[in-house]
Amino acid sequence: MTCQSLPVAKTVAAKSPAASDRALKVVAFLCNWCSYAGADKAGSNQLAVPPEVSVIRVMCSGRVEPTLILEAFEKGADGVMVLACHPGDCHYKEGNLRAFCRAELLERMLPQLGVPAERYRFDYVSAAEADKFSQLTGAFVAKLRALA
Amino acid sequence: MSTQEKTAVILCACSGIITERIDWGKVQALLASHPGRPLFKVDQLACGADNLEELAVWLTAEKPARVVVAACSPREHETTFRRLLSDAGLNPYFLQFVNVREQVSWVTCDPQAATAKAARLIHAALNRVSRHEALSERSVPVITDVAVIGAGPAGMQAALTLARAGRQVTLIEKEPVIGGLPVRFEELFPNLECGPCLLEPIMGELLHGPESARVNLLTLSEVTQVKGSFGNWTLSVAQKPRYVNAELCIGCMMCAAVCPARRPNRWNGAGEMAAVDVPFAGALPNLPQVDEAACLRLKGETCEACTAECPVEGSLDFDDLPREYTVQAGAVVIATGAVERQELPPLFAGLADVRTAYGFERLLAMNGPTGGELTLDRGAAPGSLAIVQCAGSLDPEEIPYCSGTCCRAALKYAHLAASKVEGLAVTRLVREQSVPGVDARRQLENDHARVVRYGGLAGLKVEGDGAGRRIVTHDGSVVPAELILLCRPVVPGEGTASLAELLELDRDQGGFLAPLHPLSGSCEAALKGIFLAGSCRGPADVREAFATGTAAAGLALSELVVGRDLVIDPQVAVVDAERCAGCRTCLTLCPYKAISWHAVDKVAEVSDLLCRGCGTCVAACPAGAITGRGFSRDMLRAELTGVLS
Repeated sequence: MTCQSLPVAKTVAAKSPAASDRALKVVAFLCNWCSYAGADKAGSNQLAVPPEVSVIRVMCSGRVEPTLILEAFEKGADGVMVLACHPGDCHYKEGNLRAFCRAELLERMLPQLGVPAERYRFDYVSAAEADKFSQLTGAFVAKLRALA
Repeated sequence: MSTQEKTAVILCACSGIITERIDWGKVQALLASHPGRPLFKVDQLACGADNLEELAVWLTAEKPARVVVAACSPREHETTFRRLLSDAGLNPYFLQFVNVREQVSWVTCDPQAATAKAARLIHAALNRVSRHEALSERSVPVITDVAVIGAGPAGMQAALTLARAGRQVTLIEKEPVIGGLPVRFEELFPNLECGPCLLEPIMGELLHGPESARVNLLTLSEVTQVKGSFGNWTLSVAQKPRYVNAELCIGCMMCAAVCPARRPNRWNGAGEMAAVDVPFAGALPNLPQVDEAACLRLKGETCEACTAECPVEGSLDFDDLPREYTVQAGAVVIATGAVERQELPPLFAGLADVRTAYGFERLLAMNGPTGGELTLDRGAAPGSLAIVQCAGSLDPEEIPYCSGTCCRAALKYAHLAASKVEGLAVTRLVREQSVPGVDARRQLENDHARVVRYGGLAGLKVEGDGAGRRIVTHDGSVVPAELILLCRPVVPGEGTASLAELLELDRDQGGFLAPLHPLSGSCEAALKGIFLAGSCRGPADVREAFATGTAAAGLALSELVVGRDLVIDPQVAVVDAERCAGCRTCLTLCPYKAISWHAVDKVAEVSDLLCRGCGTCVAACPAGAITGRGFSRDMLRAELTGVLS
């Protein structure tokens, strides 16, 4: 999918005019070494990333505490992503595994706080996976639009 | 930062690449009223040398409190602009970078959406940067001495290279002798060069050459504890007693000649030696060693045989005690080597006239148990020799990898065996064969063996015995096998596992020490200040041992330069002792063991030397007592509020 072939905003707007009234707010926490580099590569390859996605760079996915994610929802985020190095590839050995454990916890906890679990996404994106970054963010935003 | 102060915002056009989608005019209009009082400057190509000079002049004149740069990826130019801030007299950590090229203009088709996103991200950066604190790098002096563990070819080469550069080296060897495995080999592949002839001058240089003054050799020694970090390691070394005074002993070996007690010679894998002896003739250092389990006197019996014969009184020291040394080193070179797996596969266990490669090397050696004669257990020459290669390697039941060195060694064994026993029928049983290199060609072209392919140990049968013994393969090939030589898997040396545990080093699936990178960093561990040489990294030949020994020494020299301090990145975790509840959660989380427990104050402490700034502890601290400098809770929340505004 190239930048030119991503009519996300247009198609969703056609389907659901109400949703287009309000721009989605999506926060993506990316680790510096793998997923942020993957996102950079999506840029180098001119792959589309929905403009609704705001990236916050952290050195390691293990830096992202669950309260930061809850705070994002509290402040009006429609969706939050945490993208990490693949298991075994963490620049800091095992920070991504901490992030994974926290993700499991959050997925159970969010519905209890009234946030559908699908508004949160934890996944792995390597420094080479530009396509995956583009597809993950595209699909996540599309899903959030459908939820709206 | 006071609200009255300005924030400089540099908006890079990247020669029109960014401005193709982002309208910097609109961005400025959208952000004009931000409380960070942005002062904008659009630059055609901010990273250009001239542009940077102009920007430095501008920043020096404007004296902003903080700086935001909206340009390419921080992975590309964050350091460039940190330097710009320093040049302009600002703290380099008062910078926040916004990636509007890779992550906005290149991935967003619609210029309006791209402009809005850029404004949103810069808004967040303005929020964040106001929370940035002045940070400065800390310099600590480093110890430039190096510890080398293992005195085989790789360790000796590393030690000598370092000593030649003027460094003090502590060379730690668990055996009573140095030289590793190949010093026990009569001939080395590919040119059948004599092992001792190659290694003895090197060992001599270590022990007696001009560099020897800078090498402190500790034999019979093992590392028991390692503390510290790159630049400042402290190793605890335990040395077993030799019961021989190295200062007095002249190495005449009169003691060995008269000693009545015997012990198995494990260095030969066959035969016996005296309780006080050297493992083989020519072993260095030229000092006997007394075996506690075999020596009658050390067992409490009355025996004066050696002391009575010794020409230098006091050379034999039965009051010798274990010693403990503390070694300070800036870097550690690990060269603990590899060994062949000793246990025999069930098919061959208990059979007569079965040898493994290292024992076979000793049979071929003039200073070995048979004086270089290739013989059967009963002393006669064999009529046939079957060399079973891959005997456990490439085998899911044992080790799945190729042991790497046996094909070449087996060609050598075939050649030497054939030259020692006239008419010997030599067969090499191979599963796969790999003999790379130009200089190996001659050996391969003059192979003295018949080559038979087999499918794995499970498909082999041993039939008959004595001169009529034969190995039958899965497809019915019959191989005469009066003497059987097994090329067993090459596995990590004994010291490797314990060192990996002491230093918490990663190991690969074979148990060898994992490199920082398999291709570009194969002579260093992921742990800074730990370098790897020789076959602790994986099966290696003598050439690779020397090459990687040189490489490891070179890396240590380039990292530890006399007069150059170690600069510590200030973006690390810090514990607020007032807020630390003492729950110890962080202690178990840190992948670098950078957090320690302050027993008196009952709080956690982070060593900035060891911390790599990942922030895992910051996120995990239930009391919020740990701050990740450069990525603090406050900064991330400010940024989050900005992107959601």
